[in-house]
Amino acid sequence: MSIIIHNISKKFGAFTALNNINLNIPTGHLVALLGPSGCGKTTLLRIIAGLETADTGKVEFEGDDYFSPVVYGKRIGFVFQHYALFRHMNVFENVAFGLRVKPRKSRLSKAEIKDRVFSLLRLVQMEHLSDHYPGQLSGGQRQRVALARVLAIEPKVLLLDEPFGALDARVRQELRRWLKKLHDEIHVTSIFVTHDQEEAMEVADQVVVMNEGKIEQVGTPEEVYHKPASGFVYNFLGNVNLFHGRIEHGQIHIGEISMEWPENELVINEDSHEQLKTATVFLRPHLLEIDKSPNYKSSFRAKIKHINAAGSQVKIELVASWGDSIVAEISHERFKELQLKKNMEVYVSFDKQNLFITPGLLT
Amino acid sequence: MKFKFKKYSPLPGFGLTFGYTIFYLSLIVLIPLAALFFKSFSLTWHQFWDTVTDIRVLASYKLTFMAAFIAALINAVFGFIVAWILVRYQFPGKKFIDALVDLPFALPTAVSGIALTTIYSKNGWIGQILEPIGIKTAFSPLGIMIALTFIGLPFVVRSLQPALDDLDLEVEEAAACLGANCWQTFYKVILPAVLPSLLTGFALAFARGLGEYGSVVFISGNMPLKTEITSLLIISKLEQYDYAGATAIAVVMLIISFVLLLLINLLQSWNNRRVNNGGVN
Repeated sequence: MSIIIHNISKKFGAFTALNNINLNIPTGHLVALLGPSGCGKTTLLRIIAGLETADTGKVEFEGDDYFSPVVYGKRIGFVFQHYALFRHMNVFENVAFGLRVKPRKSRLSKAEIKDRVFSLLRLVQMEHLSDHYPGQLSGGQRQRVALARVLAIEPKVLLLDEPFGALDARVRQELRRWLKKLHDEIHVTSIFVTHDQEEAMEVADQVVVMNEGKIEQVGTPEEVYHKPASGFVYNFLGNVNLFHGRIEHGQIHIGEISMEWPENELVINEDSHEQLKTATVFLRPHLLEIDKSPNYKSSFRAKIKHINAAGSQVKIELVASWGDSIVAEISHERFKELQLKKNMEVYVSFDKQNLFITPGLLT
Repeated sequence: MKFKFKKYSPLPGFGLTFGYTIFYLSLIVLIPLAALFFKSFSLTWHQFWDTVTDIRVLASYKLTFMAAFIAALINAVFGFIVAWILVRYQFPGKKFIDALVDLPFALPTAVSGIALTTIYSKNGWIGQILEPIGIKTAFSPLGIMIALTFIGLPFVVRSLQPALDDLDLEVEEAAACLGANCWQTFYKVILPAVLPSLLTGFALAFARGLGEYGSVVFISGNMPLKTEITSLLIISKLEQYDYAGATAIAVVMLIISFVLLLLINLLQSWNNRRVNNGGVN
């Protein structure tokens, strides 16, 4: 079932949670709503679920079968960040809940419910703990029960609100992969909310990046990562170094570096009808190179402040000659070759094509 | 399994606090109650039995327990609604209503008794409406129930409020998303979660109702065999200087009350074990 969101706006008092959201989620997709906290992603999810009402706009569900949206209303699976399991019911009863509350006419028999629950528990690998209570389970186990409980009602749409947010890194990794696999198996239209860009990139086949109640970009993980629509998206989707530059006479100046930069590439500020003279420049840490001597034009001097060699890459914190702090990531081989030490003066260089520049100041 | 009297705790002072508890309970509760028992022992077994199986006494036991039980039940239902309103909704005058709930606690019971009698008697505000349609409230068992309901309300409301406050809204939303209707969400999700507090409130209201005197004596009319409660019988025995007889009635009352409260407590701990099952959250 596909979901079409028309002009949804929502205010909480003076705070605008959602500002005219339009979004189309095709059947069978696994979509991530990604954004910093307070960007409205959870509110949007709750509106889709019907747990919250929008001030304006509407959510439409369209399927290839003939159910009315009212019936669909009961077929939306919602998974909560803090699991929201029924504490006084054991795992089996939790999963069976959705089956047992059905009207008598459409309710399965006791034996059928039992079969169904156990097959779901097998799916989430919780079969052996069916008589345990939520209080006796770990966070990851609880979330798996919550998922099984939702799957029991055979949802047409699966909505997950930061499903792995309260779990530790290891379990999160594991459950992410598991969710991806599960989606590949059952192909139910799914939307999950996350503030973790890595999670969104790894699991979703469509990422919706949100900021301050608006959608910044919709695209595949590759698209949003490699072709970010805005400085915000570039900034949010990975570690960045952020510089403020000035634009003058076809040149962009960042600290002591100057580069050719055709001014017409930058957007005209519509309010003042005058070209912006400032720009924000982003650069990913792994796109920076470190040398002991200057190599090509766009390089600058910097001093090493801190070295962290624990990890697949060596993280080096530097201070540029004009005072900005910078993070660079280089390979262990390069690190050994250069024999870098703390407080060493080095040259940092980068490729001009790798810069991401937006007009105006963005902090 | 080895019985462990004391679990390890980082806080010292178990010995001291336990000793104090025993001492205090003895002084305030156990010694007076023991005196009650001893006093009743001054009767022979035969006298004792005659006193407590007197038809008037038996009728009063029945009336007192029934009235207190029904009043506690009514309070469990309506107290739940009041607590729910106070916890879940914001409305003007909420603080005022919240304060109103405590009034039966604060009011001298005789005052509430007189007030209730005035309202429910034949010429009272409510009595004059109910009397013509054949419902006699004042000077009937119904009046006693009304008085006990009035007295017991704060117990249920105050025990339930924190439990309802603690309820996780998400759990209700989860139930709704899974297709449960309002009623199913209530009795399958909300009620089990607050049941321990509801039972506590019920037990407190019931216990209070059993011992109530002041508010009942005015509205009951005190007709022997019909509207005579046990505490009234005890007082009248005392007025006749029949101290031993009074204590005999009291002892039986005490034993039944204790057994009932113990049963409620057992029910509660059974329920807690089932719900929490070793886990904290």
